[in-house]
Amino acid sequence: MFPRREVTRGTLVYAFQRLVLISFTAVVVSSIVFIGVHQLPGNAFASEHRATAGTEAALLHHYHLDLPWPQQYVLWLEGLAHGDLGESLVNLGTQITPLLLREVKVSVTLGLAAVLVTIGVGMSLGVLAAIRQNTWVDYTASTAAVIGYSVPSFVWAFLLILLTVSGFYAWTGGAIYEDIGWGKIEQIPVPALALGLPYAAIVARLTRASMLEVIRQDYVRTAWAKGLSARVVILRHALRNALIPVATILGPLVTGIITGSVVIEYLFGIPGLGQEFVTSILSRDYNIVIGVFTFYAALVGLANLTVDLLYPLLDPRIRY
Amino acid sequence: MATVVPTTLEVAEERQIVGADQLPEQVTLWQDAWRRLTRNRMAVIGMVIIGFFLVTAVVSFVWTPYDTWRQALGITYSGPSLAHPLGLDDYGRDILSRVMGGAGIALSVGVGASLVASAIGIILGLLAGFYRGKVDVLISLLINISYGVPDLLIALILVVLIGRGIQNIILAISITAWLGMARLVRGQTLALREREFVEAARSIGTKNLKILSRHILPNALGPIVVQATYLVPAAIIFEAFLSLLGLGVPPPAPSWGRMAVEGYKAIQIAPHIVLAPCVALSLTVLAFNWLGDGLRDAIDPRMRR
Repeated sequence: MFPRREVTRGTLVYAFQRLVLISFTAVVVSSIVFIGVHQLPGNAFASEHRATAGTEAALLHHYHLDLPWPQQYVLWLEGLAHGDLGESLVNLGTQITPLLLREVKVSVTLGLAAVLVTIGVGMSLGVLAAIRQNTWVDYTASTAAVIGYSVPSFVWAFLLILLTVSGFYAWTGGAIYEDIGWGKIEQIPVPALALGLPYAAIVARLTRASMLEVIRQDYVRTAWAKGLSARVVILRHALRNALIPVATILGPLVTGIITGSVVIEYLFGIPGLGQEFVTSILSRDYNIVIGVFTFYAALVGLANLTVDLLYPLLDPRIRY
Repeated sequence: MATVVPTTLEVAEERQIVGADQLPEQVTLWQDAWRRLTRNRMAVIGMVIIGFFLVTAVVSFVWTPYDTWRQALGITYSGPSLAHPLGLDDYGRDILSRVMGGAGIALSVGVGASLVASAIGIILGLLAGFYRGKVDVLISLLINISYGVPDLLIALILVVLIGRGIQNIILAISITAWLGMARLVRGQTLALREREFVEAARSIGTKNLKILSRHILPNALGPIVVQATYLVPAAIIFEAFLSLLGLGVPPPAPSWGRMAVEGYKAIQIAPHIVLAPCVALSLTVLAFNWLGDGLRDAIDPRMRR
């Protein structure tokens, strides 16, 4: 479907610059959070009744919390340079970097599944609506798109849970059911659908609009006139060019899906980065909070970079 | 003998009066937009739904069928009945009353956050677009760095730091919601500042502040209004996210997000607890999106998609 494109030197330089910028953003963001958190009164162990004065001092020393914050910041930056985000303040002895690396895998798996839902459902609806413009198919798809966009991900989650957990269970007498959680492949689709459907609606709207523009162009008429099959004309000639405007929202969309996953992970009990963030912020485990910010900043940056590197594949006029 | 020679000015005035009925009806840009808006079926339906929830919200401040916080043990989880049209929740509280109260919270947060975020975004966008140079670099850097982190995380940490009152929630949402508005206004300002009427204003010595407020801002108002409208549903969803995670408006305030997550625990035996706030929330968001789409088409017909 796509022409082969060699990786040019320009692309590599561009990608390298972006990677530097992403690292910079990640460090700046986590530094702001680090400094903000260290301005808070009290310390992490002050309220722990089991700690005696001696233990507390030892704990504070272990975490370098007895140093003035600029010194702590330098130590933390040194750790960061080695990829070491420190230890959890609540679960003593837990190293944060391996913990978050394990969780980011879960979040990325869920996010990718949601992106697949978004693009799959969104583009099919959009193309259908465009090629059947002003018929009931178009009206149904377009209305569904606005409604789908207005229903937030967690409402989709509740509806899907009602359908799968209660509905299917009752109708099939317990043969088909969904169990909430993570670890089995059949547990992925429901949260991925909930996460992806609101954005699928946006993609559908955009695909419809840009398809409508493209299918009126001369080269598409030529393709029909040559007697090509509908599948070839729509998919190879029209859709490929219609995808270019759609690709522009992929960046915000990926950020939106990452944000939405915080709530969806929490509701479905999925052990990802988002759930870790919520638990650690509620238990005031600020070391993990800072670490999650670093990971999320890197994740958003890398996702956007991936999207930008995909543009030249869709539109050969774009070069970096 | 002396005839009064009419001055050119009087002639012009006379002509205007004479020709007035032959001229097409004078319509301002906003009257024209309003007319197009009221002809848009979806936008009108949206406005009706928003009006309905607004009235509900205002009523809920003085009267709800039952107190939103009053618990009744023993009849918990019971479904819709005549006395309780939407049923009771897990503490035996009347869901209809709580959905009404939730409308007040959702609309206060939605409209409040939209106003605060718009104000920040407009000011920073105007500054960045008009002064360019270092100001622009600084503001754009701030915007780009903030875009690098999911806004929900920033809001969550802020709520933990400053507390969960309704003003704090509005602030926590606005602290990231202004980014889009600032980008939009910056772009508009960059384009408008090169236009002839701005050049003319500057050449007669108009002060920068006056150029910004009298010449640039009014011309960028159309897209600003559309964006501010879209900010309302976004903020409502955002507040629901915060409430779901246990960091929204503190209980016993009946926030829709909190009601939904409380009902989630009993979704299999009493789905009505989850469904009522979810339907109310989705309807409100849908109505604002319809209104936003209608406004976009009405204010700038070329933007129609």
